[in-house]
Amino acid sequence: MLHLVYLYRNLTRNMLRTGLTCAAVALPITIYVLSAAVIDGLDRFLDNSAKQMRLVVVNRASIINPLPSGYRVKIESLDPTHSRITSICGMRWIGGKVENVAQPLSTLATQHDAYAATFPDEKLTDEEIEAWNRDRRAIIVGSATARQFGWKKGDRISINPSVPPYTPMEFNIVSTAPDAEDKITNFFRLDYLEEELKKVMAVPDGWTPDGWVSFIFVKCATKQDLDYYRKAIDEMFARSPYETKTHDEKAFMNEFITQAFNLPRNLTILAAVTIFVAVMAAANTMSMNIRDRMNEVATLKSLGFGQWLVFGLIQVESLALCALGGAIGAAIPFVAFTYTPLRNYPVPLIVFLDVRPIVCFQSLLIAATIGLLAAAWPAWSAARLHVVESLRNLE
Amino acid sequence: MALPLVYHWRNLFVRKTTTLLTVLVLAAVVGVFTWMLGFSDSLTRSLSTASDPMKIIMLKRGATSESNSAIPVDEYAKLNQLTEIARDPKSGQPLLSPEMMVQVSLPRVRDGGKTWGNVALRGVTEAAFAVHRNVKPTGRMFSLGSREVLVGLAAAKQFAGLKEGQTIELGYSADRAYTIVGYFSADGGPMESEIWGYLPSLLNAYNRSMYSSASLRLMDGADPEKVIEKIKGPAIQLEAQTESQYWQQQSRNVTNYLLITRLLVGVMSLAAVFSIANTMFAMVAGRTREIAMLRTMGYSGRHILTGFVLEAVLLSLMGGSIGCLACLGWLWFVGNTKDMFGASTFTTLAFEIHLTPDTILWALASVTAVGVVGALIPAIRAADTEVIRAIREA
Repeated sequence: MLHLVYLYRNLTRNMLRTGLTCAAVALPITIYVLSAAVIDGLDRFLDNSAKQMRLVVVNRASIINPLPSGYRVKIESLDPTHSRITSICGMRWIGGKVENVAQPLSTLATQHDAYAATFPDEKLTDEEIEAWNRDRRAIIVGSATARQFGWKKGDRISINPSVPPYTPMEFNIVSTAPDAEDKITNFFRLDYLEEELKKVMAVPDGWTPDGWVSFIFVKCATKQDLDYYRKAIDEMFARSPYETKTHDEKAFMNEFITQAFNLPRNLTILAAVTIFVAVMAAANTMSMNIRDRMNEVATLKSLGFGQWLVFGLIQVESLALCALGGAIGAAIPFVAFTYTPLRNYPVPLIVFLDVRPIVCFQSLLIAATIGLLAAAWPAWSAARLHVVESLRNLE
Repeated sequence: MALPLVYHWRNLFVRKTTTLLTVLVLAAVVGVFTWMLGFSDSLTRSLSTASDPMKIIMLKRGATSESNSAIPVDEYAKLNQLTEIARDPKSGQPLLSPEMMVQVSLPRVRDGGKTWGNVALRGVTEAAFAVHRNVKPTGRMFSLGSREVLVGLAAAKQFAGLKEGQTIELGYSADRAYTIVGYFSADGGPMESEIWGYLPSLLNAYNRSMYSSASLRLMDGADPEKVIEKIKGPAIQLEAQTESQYWQQQSRNVTNYLLITRLLVGVMSLAAVFSIANTMFAMVAGRTREIAMLRTMGYSGRHILTGFVLEAVLLSLMGGSIGCLACLGWLWFVGNTKDMFGASTFTTLAFEIHLTPDTILWALASVTAVGVVGALIPAIRAADTEVIRAIREA
């Protein structure tokens, strides 16, 4: 008990220093939490991709070159029993924009009959699947995209494709996929797109109205099947007019994420530097504290306090200081992105920042570690302090 | 007379640990700051070469980039009715360049081919070199008769298999070998990340009969906005943008990321301010008697104030220099080649991060500002020291 009072008095005797140190630890922890939250969001998205055991087949020449949609049947023929390849769904990219909004959307036309089976992670209800199968103009919009534009289930919306036919297309929202990990992409039916394309008089070649997809998703039963078919599919189409390149979905998505600006890597580096800053700032304070209190430490020891107790007292003081800073630093982004209008601020790639309590908790642990690291050297030198010499040296 | 500089310099080494730790904090902040500044400068530099005000890019209505635009030849022909197009002084032909844009997937040199990038492949005619004035072949042109291409200098550096004399498989089924016969420069602009070949030959290879986009050069004195209106109007009905508008849109994503990084670095600088303030408060508190002595010797409060601020600035500059050096070292050892994805081009724009003297000056100026802000309050407190009491008590 007495030790606690001593600790408390020590922390409060120079409020200015305590405050400044708290701030110097809290701000880096804030940055850390924000960076970690972004990386965490991307990781969860990628982990889901990995769990789904899907392959993505694209044209070897480049991603904008299409593949014949008949490839679906050819890939199916690799596994006539349907026990290893459970479902195959081709997709065609149309990008898209909402009238008068500059931001490009991510919208895909899908082979609707296979969509629900290939993407169980969209977690559509039976009723939604039925509406999707019934209505040719059905669209499933990403939950974050829906939130951004204020779209609700049952709404009728219009999207201008970025590729032919270019003319606005009308859709009926059958679901906003609230539980899906992919919160951005919108999916609609390929047969609707092909119908619209056929209406356009001059259809550019390379864009023949039907029979083309941009990529094909192949859902496998097990990890072994995934590895097996990744090679088997490319071998089947080798030396054909449309050679393929097959990735697992995680690698495919990751390529997209890192191509843009390798945000995860840059944020990781930033977070590491930030932690370094916090350690240095806290170590500075602790070394100044101990220096100022050299005679006190000597007195403590001469009163019979053991060197481990002295070591411990200083360590705990630093720990408390940094934990306090860490708690403030973690609380700021948590509150800001959970309870204020900031939570609707769109962040690229993950769209909406979700600061999960687990990330905050991790940062708190890191703050505590910072505290221990920062005090290591000052505490050690205090513990080894030679009583007589230090009392002699000080006035 | 102000306090001698050497007094402040020596004072920094009285409390070595504190000085070292503060310098390290500043170095870390400045290191990140410099990298970020270098990144956005290099990107801006690359994009600013692509901001020719007299150049207009035309796309199909609704298309968001050259990659997903398709202009039929008869619609392209309507552009000839524009009277504001500059003409080639020799041939009298309008400077109007039909172009085709596709992509080819190539391995990156930077990570030994582990990842691949989408390199833009542009089919052009002779007119393109007059419209895109900054594009200059370093050697000979591709010939119109055989399968030959030129490669942008940035693309040649960042992607494998693009050296002069090598062949590259292009075409719808990637089965036509084109020989690379030389390079071209584009003043470091985005086009330097592209591969250029003869339009009819590439149209054929990719089984196309439509252009992707068209670019034109305006004659002197023409108003770009008016021409854009005309192109968008009922007679032509194409989407038109000046070159800078086009690239601003394509770099929107990256500008967003940079905004976030900038915000985070701002927060970090604030942490550095607190850290400096902490150190300076300790310095002032530890030297109360010394300050009182200086006051009795005749130095004024203002001298003391500037003295402490100066000490903080010295501290900041030390940290700043180490930070800049660390950043240079990082770029040197880890690599300074970057490429970014256009918002909707799906092609990569390659560039190199170079730290210019301007960037370094900016970084040092900012860290000095951080030092001054952090030291101000402690220094004021030092200047306000009451002489008699300080000497009696300390």
